[in-house]
Amino acid sequence: MWNEYSIGLAAAFACALVAFLALVWERDDLHKLLLVDLVETAALAVIALIGTDLSEALILPGLVVGIAELLALSQIYLVKEGYQQHRVKGLNIEVIMRSPATVIIATILAVYGIILSGFTGGAIAGLGIVFLLMSRSFSGDFHVLEMASGISWALWVAAFFVFMFAPEWWYLALMGAAIGILMKVITKMSLVGAMWGDQE
Amino acid sequence: MNEIGGAPLFFLEFGDIVIYFTPFTLTLFLLALVFSVFVLVSRPERQIDIAFGGDAYYAKEISLSELRFRRFMSIACGLACMGAMVTGDVFDFTLFVSLVGICNVGIVAAVRSRHVQNAAYQYGLVALAGTVPMFAAAAMVAATTGTLSMLELAKGTATVPVAARALLVLGVMGEGMAPFYAAKAEMFRAPGAPYVIMCSLSSLLIFLRVAEVILLI
Repeated sequence: MWNEYSIGLAAAFACALVAFLALVWERDDLHKLLLVDLVETAALAVIALIGTDLSEALILPGLVVGIAELLALSQIYLVKEGYQQHRVKGLNIEVIMRSPATVIIATILAVYGIILSGFTGGAIAGLGIVFLLMSRSFSGDFHVLEMASGISWALWVAAFFVFMFAPEWWYLALMGAAIGILMKVITKMSLVGAMWGDQE
Repeated sequence: MNEIGGAPLFFLEFGDIVIYFTPFTLTLFLLALVFSVFVLVSRPERQIDIAFGGDAYYAKEISLSELRFRRFMSIACGLACMGAMVTGDVFDFTLFVSLVGICNVGIVAAVRSRHVQNAAYQYGLVALAGTVPMFAAAAMVAATTGTLSMLELAKGTATVPVAARALLVLGVMGEGMAPFYAAKAEMFRAPGAPYVIMCSLSSLLIFLRVAEVILLI
């Protein structure tokens, strides 16, 4: 009766129950939204309890639907409370604006990301560039970055075609895919950083 | 095989995910289709308020952008409904139902009125909370029987625990049907008649289908 699955299920439902109780007592609309998001996590835990590859395949759509609803609801919340979007122009902290520390941190992150390579490396290097752009309130032309992103994506796809059609060139394809995804994630993340400071 | 909805007429296989039409689900599917077409061609109602004690009345205008958005949401809701009616996979069913929920919230949230948006927000919270028992039920079905296919489950070789069925009904009630929000009468007084119908219709269809699913598996 009480095998591992049952115990896990009981634990997940207990978590969900605690979160639902909090939801009952909560009166603030925004807090309610956050609590509901918390409850969602318990649902993902129940799906994960299947413990096979199938659970992985089921969590993704579940997560996507949850996030879609969360986004829609938060948008409704903004509209109903009449909040406007405020301009964000970089991190207005004087120390960060002046000191060379941001450049050093960004460089370390970028170098470390390039060493890691691949998707994770791209994310870390991109984070460094986001940090730099945010702290310097950089305003410039991003067409080059967008173009680099597109070209690196094409490189990634081309590398996969090499995998399929000419497997003997696998090493070249591997390097191409790694560099392509690295460049792509770096540029995408830097664009995120740039767009953040560029509302309207 | 347990044939609660009549003998299957047609199977459409995508790998192990099978879409099938029985006389029952085919009827529901056609109903959703017909109403989607109605929404596509109809024009929004122009609500008239009459001032008491005089001849004055005023008509509420609906802006083109609002109309477009709500029409789009209604059609999306119709499509999600059609999917939920004919799918033969428990998890796909729950996904379609949550799509219906999102679309329903979207249809009403487009109205630029404070209290309608408040109601839509509350309904959205219920819908979001409803995903928890719904996905949990689908996961429990997969974990206890090893399959999500309704056709396999209908053979009766593996029994779905009562708890999973109860959770499925609970989740679908919160997500795809609109009991909590039918009580918010203000919402149905919001202008934009043909589109709000889609909320009610989808609730009805989802209710009928979930009853069939529970009896089938």
